[in-house]
Amino acid sequence: MINEYQTYNCKILNIKNEGSDSKTFILELPYKEFYFTAGQYVMASLPGFGEAAISVSSALDEEKFIELTIRRVGSLTEKIHQLNKGDYLGVRGPYGNGFPLKIAQNKNILIVAGGIGIEPVRPIILDALKNTQKYKSVTIFYGAKDESAVVYANECSKWNKVCDFNLILEKTNDKKVNQGMITALFDLKNVPKDAIAYMCGPPVMYKFVVQKMLEQGFSPDNIYISFERHMDCAQGICQHCAVGPYYVCQDGPVFGYSQIKDASWLKII
Amino acid sequence: MIFWYNMNMNQSQFKKFVDFLIKNNQVIAPQNSPTGQLLIGPIFESKDLVWDSHLPLDSWKWYVIPPEQKMFDYDREKLNEVIPAIKPQILLGVSILDLQAITLLNQVFEKDIYFQEVKKRTMVIGSSFVPDENFYEFFDKFEEDKLEHLQFDIFLAVQKKGYKVFTGTEDGQRLLDKFGYDNYQHIEYAGPIREQGLDPQMVAIKNAMANPKNKSKFDKIWQDLGQRCMQCGKCTIACPVCFCFRMFDQANLEPGQGSRNRCWDSCFYNDFTQTANVAPELPKHYELKTTAEKIYFWYEHHFVRTPQSFSTPGCVGCNRCTRTCPAEIDIRKTIKDILDA
Repeated sequence: MINEYQTYNCKILNIKNEGSDSKTFILELPYKEFYFTAGQYVMASLPGFGEAAISVSSALDEEKFIELTIRRVGSLTEKIHQLNKGDYLGVRGPYGNGFPLKIAQNKNILIVAGGIGIEPVRPIILDALKNTQKYKSVTIFYGAKDESAVVYANECSKWNKVCDFNLILEKTNDKKVNQGMITALFDLKNVPKDAIAYMCGPPVMYKFVVQKMLEQGFSPDNIYISFERHMDCAQGICQHCAVGPYYVCQDGPVFGYSQIKDASWLKII
Repeated sequence: MIFWYNMNMNQSQFKKFVDFLIKNNQVIAPQNSPTGQLLIGPIFESKDLVWDSHLPLDSWKWYVIPPEQKMFDYDREKLNEVIPAIKPQILLGVSILDLQAITLLNQVFEKDIYFQEVKKRTMVIGSSFVPDENFYEFFDKFEEDKLEHLQFDIFLAVQKKGYKVFTGTEDGQRLLDKFGYDNYQHIEYAGPIREQGLDPQMVAIKNAMANPKNKSKFDKIWQDLGQRCMQCGKCTIACPVCFCFRMFDQANLEPGQGSRNRCWDSCFYNDFTQTANVAPELPKHYELKTTAEKIYFWYEHHFVRTPQSFSTPGCVGCNRCTRTCPAEIDIRKTIKDILDA
C-alpha cells in the first residue's frame, strides 16, 4: 500500500532570488510521471520543520524539473530559505484541482494576482508565451506591496511582449509605476470583455476584486479563485482547510466563484 | 420455533465465548470505571463486561485512530515509515451506532496505511443494542437487513433468549469456528448506500444547512450557541466520528533525527485554521475567528461535508457530545432548530 504521506526528496538544482523575501527553488522531478495542472500544489517538507502547501510555478510541459517559489513567512520557509544548491527538499503531490484552462481557449483571459499569488498563475502565463495563438488575449493585473516584494521581476518584460502586463504597487517612489491597491487597475486599465478570470492573492483581496469584476460585467461563472489555507493531510481528511462544504486541499485550491459564493453560512469570501 | 431457538447463542454459550475471547486475546470492552463512568478499556474477566444498551462515555476511536501516532522516523532528510506497533485486539460490545461510526472511519481512512495496519489487527464484535439517547432515526429499531450496510467481524443480535449470530468477515467466521460455534449467518457488506437511496434524515439536515434562505434564522441559532460554547473541545474528543488531526515534527537529541507524527486536533482550538501572514513578524490569519463560526464549522463537518464526501451520515446519533458538553449544548435541539429554520 502506498503511503500517501511519504515525501520524495528532490535535489535542488538551482535557486533564484525573487525580491527581498522569496526564492524560486528549481528541483529535480520527484518521480518520473510527475504531471501537474496550473494551480495545483505540492506539500513541501523538511523533516523537523513540517510541511506546507506550495503551488507549482514551472511550465506545464517542463519535463526535467519543477519550480517552487517560496516566501519566507514562518519557521519552515525560513529553514527552506537556508538550503543551498545540491541540498534536498521533500515534496509530495501534486494535489488538488487547478485552474480550468480548456474553457479559456480562444478567449480573453484576465489574471489577477496579489503578492506571492502570482506563483500558481505563472504556468498559465508561460503557457500563453509558448502558445501565442491559444488564447485571444491575456491581461495580467499584478499587485505587490513594493518593488522588493515583486516576484519574477526579471520575467515581467518578457511577459509584456505577449500579455498586457500591468503592475501596481502599494508603495513606490517610481512615478512610472502605478500606485495603489490592485482594484485601482480596474479603473485605470483596459479590462478585457467576456474574459475568463483567474485570481490568486491574499484573502482580503478577493472580496474587493470580485466586486470590481461583477461591476464590469464579468459572469460569476467565469471567475476562478485559488484559496490559501492551512493544510496538514492534503487528502480531504484532517479538516483544517475546509471551506463550507468543500476541502481546499482536494476540491480546490481553485474554485469557481459561483460554486462557493453562497455555499455556507460562514462567509467564504 | 424450535429451529430458531436452536440457532441462537444462549447466555451460557455467550459467557463461554467472552471467556474464550479474553483468554486468547487483548479484548477491549465497555466496563464501569472506579469513578462509576461507563468507559471502554481492556477487560480481563467476563464479569466486568457491561453488555447492555448503555453507551460508554468514550468512543472506540481511541483504539482505531490513536490520539497520537508516529508516522515516520527521520534521519536528516530521509523519512522512514513507522508501522504502528499494535497488538491484535478485539473490540467487544460495539453498539450498532458505534458500528456505523467504525464503518465511516473505514471509509474515511481507506487509503491511510496507518489506519489500515490497525484495522488488520482489530476484530470488531457488535451488538444490536440501541442506546436510549439515540436520535439517528435509521437505528430507532434494529432490523437484520440493516446489517449489510455496517462493517463488523461478528454481530450478536439480541433475541428474547440469547443472541442470533452473524459474521461479516472470514476472520469472524474463523474466530467462531475456533470457539466451536457454527450457527452463524454470513452477511456480505453491501457498501454504505442503501437500496432506498441516501439516508433521508441526513439529506434533510444537509439541505437545511446548505439553504441560503436560512441565513437569517441561522444567525440566531449560531450566535446563541457561540455565546454558550466555551470552546473546550470535549465534544470533539467524545464524538466517535470526529477524526480531524494535525501533523507535527518532533526532534530527538540525536543531531538531525526525530519523528513526524500526527495527533487528534479540535476545530474549536484557535490555531486550527491559522495561516501565515505575508511576513513572519506579522500576526497570523485565522479563518474561524468567533466561537459561533467554530461551532458552525463543527456542524458543517458532520452534517454537510461528510455526507457530501462519503454519502453517509457524519453523525451517528449517539449524543455523546451532549453528555460531555459543560455548557449543556444539546445536539438534538440544534438539529431540530436547523430543520425548523
